[in-house]
Amino acid sequence: MADNAIPLVVRDLHKSFNDNPVLEGLSLEAHEGDVISLIGASGSGKSTFLRCMNLLEIPNAGDIVVHGESVKFKTRRGEREPADWKQVERIRARLSMVFQGFNLWAHMTLIGNVIEAPVHVLGKSKKEAREHAMALLERVGLADRADYFPAQLSGGQQQRGAIARALAMDPEVMLFDEPTSALDPELVGDVLKVMRELADEGRTMVVVTHEMDFARDVSSQVIYLHQGRVEEAGKPEDVFGNPSSERLKQFLGPRF
Amino acid sequence: MIDFHGYGWRLLGGALLTAELAVLSLVLALMIGLVVASIKLSRSSVLRGFALLYTTIIRGVPDLVMMMLLFYGGQIGVNMVVDQFNSWLGTNVFINVNAFMAGVITLAVIYGAYMSETFRGAFLAVDAGQMEAARAYGMSGWLAFRRVRFPLMMRHALPGINNNWMVLLKSTALVSIIGLSDMVHIADQATKATHQPFLFMVPVGLGYLAITSVSELAVRWLRQRYDAGFHTAKRGA
Repeated sequence: MADNAIPLVVRDLHKSFNDNPVLEGLSLEAHEGDVISLIGASGSGKSTFLRCMNLLEIPNAGDIVVHGESVKFKTRRGEREPADWKQVERIRARLSMVFQGFNLWAHMTLIGNVIEAPVHVLGKSKKEAREHAMALLERVGLADRADYFPAQLSGGQQQRGAIARALAMDPEVMLFDEPTSALDPELVGDVLKVMRELADEGRTMVVVTHEMDFARDVSSQVIYLHQGRVEEAGKPEDVFGNPSSERLKQFLGPRF
Repeated sequence: MIDFHGYGWRLLGGALLTAELAVLSLVLALMIGLVVASIKLSRSSVLRGFALLYTTIIRGVPDLVMMMLLFYGGQIGVNMVVDQFNSWLGTNVFINVNAFMAGVITLAVIYGAYMSETFRGAFLAVDAGQMEAARAYGMSGWLAFRRVRFPLMMRHALPGINNNWMVLLKSTALVSIIGLSDMVHIADQATKATHQPFLFMVPVGLGYLAITSVSELAVRWLRQRYDAGFHTAKRGA
């Protein structure tokens, strides 16, 4: 299949922090409707990998291609950096991110958060953005909280609000960075339910997660990372049902 | 009716001058403070060095000395530059450093240094995740600054700004030494002429109090505006 039909292609990504290699040649192809789960122990590089995809971290080598558009890099004083920050901003707007710590803008109401980027980045009218936002908040069960500030919401509500903010961009790919790790256990379910619905409706998603049930039941592909390399990857039934790597077997434990 | 021995209107004029001087200096000082704070947080070590030098000198030297240095030194500096141009162009121009502008610039340069420290601390107090979200949603640097970084920073900066403003306002009294007729200067003249210090100095004190009281209202309004979202009364509702 030609690259320009694939929402997100990442090829041979390398990243190191102060000469410590964190990613050593990671690749990934997210096709339309794919849900790719990245799993692995802390420090395996899965969050860094995800953050390279929207250039919150700048990879030292490798390509990132969004619907055929390749991110351009240049080298300045021995450091690799994007050649065109306008291009980076444009690409980021097409890949919405949901953070572990929610990161809703604290000084804006929930609906203010949801319409912020559509209005100021995509240039939509306020009226149109508000209507869309209300429909999205309805969807994630927060329509009655539209005028609340983030600090007035529970963690689970904030994260569902953050998902509404991500959806408001009509993203081509959604990036989830451990979206349930900062939540109290009883709040995790609501967030995962929303994410399952998104997967069911064919959203293209890349999810860094510790929720193994979610990874097994929802993903189209699971990638297990160990020390910045792909240790094992494949369909969830193979990765969970019949893992070949000893490390992965240990990581998954006796439940699988 | 109190008899001000004919100084009443001049005193009011002096109060107006004080207020103009203070407000103009404040606006300039805020701009200088923002720029210098941004430089202090920038990646360029050369620029950071200059910013550090600026704040170190300004904060370590008395305001009075700075004012005389900038006022007289400024006139000498301007003369030197103008003389140079005169000799090149064969003209005969003289530019007089306007005492009011000199006062405004001096106060702004002094309080810009204090403001820059206030802003620097306030920028650092903003949670990094807030800016990360702004970048992740495709905001340009300027848009992210305007919509996210600045309003979040202001909440932390306001108490410090308010403090600096109060000190700045009172420092305007120093401009009388460079020949500006602010309200302290007028009251001082009137006192010397009439030997009635209370008659003139009490109204001057009240004048400063009036200005700070009005500004307190403005600060309260700003605080409400930038605190929005940080009171959690409805939490869990």
